[in-house]
Amino acid sequence: METGTKSGEVRVEKVGGKSMVTKCFSKYPLKFIIPKKAGPSKTDSVWIYSLTYGGGIVSGDVISSGLYVGDGSTTVLTTQASTKVYKSLGSKCSEQLFEAEIGSDALLVVIPDPVTCFSTARYSQKQVFRVVPGSSLVLVDWITSGRHESGEVWDFNLYKSTNNIFFSDGQPLFLDTVLLEQGGIAPLAERMQDYRVIAMVVLLGPKLRHVQIRIQEDVKTMMSGQLRVSFSSLNCRKKPNPHNTSPDKPALVASCSAFGPKRVGVVVRIASMTTESVYSFLRHQLEDLEPLIGLSPYC
Amino acid sequence: MADEMEIGHVSKKPAHAASSLQWSQWQLLDSILPTGGFAHSFGLEAAIGTHMIGGSEDLRTFVVHVLENSGSLLLPFVYSASKSPDANTLHNLDRMLDAMLTNEVGRKASVAQGSALIRVASAAFLEIPSLKMIRERFLGSGTVCFHHAPVFGLICGLIGLDSETSQRAYVFITMRDVISAATRLNLIGPLGAAVLQHQISDVAEAVVEKWKNRAADEACQTVPLLDTIQGCHAYLFSRLFCS
Repeated sequence: METGTKSGEVRVEKVGGKSMVTKCFSKYPLKFIIPKKAGPSKTDSVWIYSLTYGGGIVSGDVISSGLYVGDGSTTVLTTQASTKVYKSLGSKCSEQLFEAEIGSDALLVVIPDPVTCFSTARYSQKQVFRVVPGSSLVLVDWITSGRHESGEVWDFNLYKSTNNIFFSDGQPLFLDTVLLEQGGIAPLAERMQDYRVIAMVVLLGPKLRHVQIRIQEDVKTMMSGQLRVSFSSLNCRKKPNPHNTSPDKPALVASCSAFGPKRVGVVVRIASMTTESVYSFLRHQLEDLEPLIGLSPYC
Repeated sequence: MADEMEIGHVSKKPAHAASSLQWSQWQLLDSILPTGGFAHSFGLEAAIGTHMIGGSEDLRTFVVHVLENSGSLLLPFVYSASKSPDANTLHNLDRMLDAMLTNEVGRKASVAQGSALIRVASAAFLEIPSLKMIRERFLGSGTVCFHHAPVFGLICGLIGLDSETSQRAYVFITMRDVISAATRLNLIGPLGAAVLQHQISDVAEAVVEKWKNRAADEACQTVPLLDTIQGCHAYLFSRLFCS
């Protein structure tokens, strides 16, 4: 992708044993802020804060950016606040495209705040990662149901998020697209049931083995305690309780799956009734990243 | 005399082919075909476990959601495979779907059913030698997992079903299998299941209309909650189903 069409580009490379930004470019409506020091100086990592002017994405904005994380270096990409997508004017769709290349023995940690689409918003984002054996990636991608305080619950028109990970030979390792569109055969709010937040966490590569092991065990423990037996003692054909608002639905549901050759990756899917509980889950599960990146995510 | 017999034989061929196709089609869609479909609940057992299914309305809603998510995620694979039912297409679609079925429970179920389906089809539909050839070529190679949707599309294409019927058939067997799982989970009786299946057929057709004829790279999840819940299947203490 030529620089002319991009809104931003950053290159991080290991220079003299330290991860350094060797190129940084951004133009309206995107801005990158790279503090000189994000964590303890003995931790080698570059932190990049991605912002949009006006604090959100305006109808019709098209933002594309690229990031190169060179061999042996560590980069964190995050936001300052939740990404707000404002209402669509004239059915225009806003788009974000992000492409990253991760080198060998390199680590990229993508830990944004969630996307919040306002009523009638139309938004599409695509994130493409190219990895080599030995690359490590943490990817958090999440969305809330809107401005609950204003009564907006899954009230946007369109949200589409694609996260694709490819090997350097172009073979796909992980392909995921979630499409939430108003209308459709089943109403959007009904498809989400009582949940107000959905999140996905991808953990890939050798540097994250300990985080993968811990998250799989914690999720299994957390969920096993909340699940009930499906068949033996139930008689589900009794008349449903008229006051039944499913009081037993877990406030947070999560599941983990391994993927890829030799189970190199783990993906966690989460649905929650509150944003705070997801922040808490992420804080807890990603705290072991602190020695690698200098700060604990979502604190 | 010999000419008359030959003309008679030639004019019988198209009608013979059409009725022969019906026999193959019905056999392919019959639940008695040994593909192990009975072992899978499409996340229904996990949905009960996570308290998503309170009453009969919840069951209907769940089935509709499964149909819609299958439509958006899997119909493109059925379509693409049925349009070009050959080894290379199967290989590409299989690799892509393997990367897309990120939920381990659903991924394993897809491989189990697809493998069983191509095994049965290559043994039974001997008039299509390419089925056996394709299966033997990829068996043990490690490059093709035999995911269900592309295998189903491949077989439909090879037996001569048009791609729209193939896609409708896939949504049909999905609906059939979820409702069948619901009866075994004691959520609905066999008569109620038959009533529900017929009631939902309009919705199933709407799913086909909406999601048919798309390229595999357009595949997406439209009910992400299902993926999260189906993934919980592995955490159930005791289970009737594999998925």
